[in-house]
Amino acid sequence: MASSAAGIIFSSLNNNTLSRLTSDRTVAAIPFACRYRLIDFALSNMVNANMTNIYVVANYKYRSLLEHLGSGKDWDLARREGGITFISPFQTAHNSDNKMFSTHMEALKSMKEYINEIKEEYVVLMDSDTALTIDITDVIRSHESTGASVTIVTSDVPADYTAKNPRAMIASVAGKVTQIAMSASYDERHPELALGIYVMKTSYLRLLIDEAEAYDLNSFTLLLLKNCKSSNYMSYKYTGFAACVSSFLDYYKYSMELVNNEKARESLLWKKEAPIFTRVHNSAPTKHYPGAKVENSMIADECSIEGTVINSVIFRDVTIEKGAVVENCVLFHGTHVCKNAHLNCIVSDKDVIVTENVNLSGNHNMPFYIQKGRKI
Amino acid sequence: MYCKKECIAMLLAGGQGSRLYDLTKQIAKPAVAFGGKYKIIDFPLSNCINSGIDTVGVLTQYQPFALNEYVSNGQPWDLDRIRGGLYVLPPYQGNKHSDWYKGTANAIYQNINFIKQYDPDYVLILSGDHIYRMDYNKMLQQHKATGAACTVATITVPMEEAFRFGICNTNPDGSIYEFEEKPKNPKNNQASMGIYIFSTKTLIEYLENDEDDENSSNDFGKNIIPNLLGNGEKLYSYRFDGYWKDVGTISSLWEANMDLIGENPILTLEDQDFRIYSKNTARPPQYIGKSGVVENSLISEGCRIYGTVINSVISGGVIVEEGAIVKDSVVMEDVLVKKDACVYTAIVDSDTVVESGATVGKENAGKDEIALIASGSVIAKA
Repeated sequence: MASSAAGIIFSSLNNNTLSRLTSDRTVAAIPFACRYRLIDFALSNMVNANMTNIYVVANYKYRSLLEHLGSGKDWDLARREGGITFISPFQTAHNSDNKMFSTHMEALKSMKEYINEIKEEYVVLMDSDTALTIDITDVIRSHESTGASVTIVTSDVPADYTAKNPRAMIASVAGKVTQIAMSASYDERHPELALGIYVMKTSYLRLLIDEAEAYDLNSFTLLLLKNCKSSNYMSYKYTGFAACVSSFLDYYKYSMELVNNEKARESLLWKKEAPIFTRVHNSAPTKHYPGAKVENSMIADECSIEGTVINSVIFRDVTIEKGAVVENCVLFHGTHVCKNAHLNCIVSDKDVIVTENVNLSGNHNMPFYIQKGRKI
Repeated sequence: MYCKKECIAMLLAGGQGSRLYDLTKQIAKPAVAFGGKYKIIDFPLSNCINSGIDTVGVLTQYQPFALNEYVSNGQPWDLDRIRGGLYVLPPYQGNKHSDWYKGTANAIYQNINFIKQYDPDYVLILSGDHIYRMDYNKMLQQHKATGAACTVATITVPMEEAFRFGICNTNPDGSIYEFEEKPKNPKNNQASMGIYIFSTKTLIEYLENDEDDENSSNDFGKNIIPNLLGNGEKLYSYRFDGYWKDVGTISSLWEANMDLIGENPILTLEDQDFRIYSKNTARPPQYIGKSGVVENSLISEGCRIYGTVINSVISGGVIVEEGAIVKDSVVMEDVLVKKDACVYTAIVDSDTVVESGATVGKENAGKDEIALIASGSVIAKA
């Protein structure tokens, strides 16, 4: 059965706080977990809930995102009706000098024409800086049964939680949201972190946009914050693995958690009923040569491994030559590690070459980043 | 709608492949898995698209369900086209008669109308039994340059094996003066690969004549090619010198898989300019656990290896638990090898469960003693 919900995915947040990984791409296009880009999780969650009408909102350098999405075919979203609609800022005859949208609410205001045409009863808003595998159908079901105006997906965060930028934190009583606050760290009065997933009736979203226009508000979260006392907002508690990537260090830590924590892998990647779709590259299977040694690592296709790989996340088409040792690393697509090089706690961007005998080491709390295309 | 194509391909995919025993009990040979993430039919289909041929008729007959489902609308090979594309052509019931495909030539004969629809100048005949990468366009260029009625692709085989093939005896200019199907005393070792390019007019003429001949076995190698030669038509051989392997037996299928591994593999599939396409299964990346040991092996997406894998080709979604050993084997999709189980020198078909402590095959058995486990089996501890 087709879903009764349309989706809106915001592709670019935190571009400023993720500087290195987003110097050349939007957040949604950040490679994650060997073979995915962050947006794959939001898209796949929606597709697995039979949603077929999905808007992807982008304003920041979206070349690699566009290339990744293509026609939407790889998510089964190349459709005559719906599929992926890509929304980027545009100028009009009346406001050619105007600033392009940069916040959620500005984006929503500018795509009002689209939102007015949505036929689905519900709409699911999702950020793409969070990788998680969630049953959206169940969130919608919960939304219907509680009769909430807005359902906000949250997760409890540990007392040592910090983010690079303030995020929406929530207090709830028996699921009813009582307070929303912006905070960059754990706050005992608002112990739930909003995961950037909001479910509401499409008609309610239209009301919110009208209200934002009337008050000239440009923040979606602040609008919810303002309304939450007088409205029926509910929190939906998600308990699985969620990687909220707000900084480069977050990115590294969540990547390492995927390698070191079987529960995290099960929650994000190994659910049979919820496959994660991504762009298909038709790569050949990975070759482990005689003498190769791989321990506790995730590896994508078309890699060629002759050396040693420990506790690492290896993307597509990576070559690790004889005698090379790669430990606690995240190596993006096309990285080439030459003979006897030694890497520890490194994140290498696309197409990096590490030449023979080079020894590079970061630290678990300060991993070392190598820029796209660099030769070391 | 008139839709002219210079060259279309007809892929004979109806073979049972009875020498693959249990592997082809439920599926046609072209649908047999190969090399971790492929099926045999991925090779000719990918060759077509990489050679610029965008219209392919896939002739099915034996156990077509899995094959039909796999090729579906041709999307994985970029063969879902508005003009042309991939079509599955099963035998059908006609106005006057209805027949199973009696032979390779008869299968094409029954689909002459499909061919005519595209008004092609040339027709490429392929089979779905071989592992190879080939640019058919080069063969077509030669066919056009020689002005041949038919061009037969050939490959050099070891002289002592030549008696198993159709052998082309050629003049120095490459023209064929004699074709011997499985000769007892072969005169040379240029074997037909079962790949032909015909000029369409000649093909249709000979297929129609062949159909009228009641004594014919309606086969390209046995009837059509000899008839062309007998009538003095111009036949040329096109020499192919890449990797080519008939995977019609358990040992040759195992060997071809083993050709993908080793220090310097004989067969590599990483060529980005000549991709072998296959249907995507949206599996997560492979994970090798703390206790996992992987040596000289091909591992596909979705695998989780906690045990030991040596000299093997492992398809998607295979789980090898702690203490288990898989050695010198080909393991197909979604097989579960439980704790302390051993798989030696085997081909294990998909969805099989090897229970804890169970053993499959013999260690270091070699290619003539390969253990074959049928799809969906449960192997208990002896």
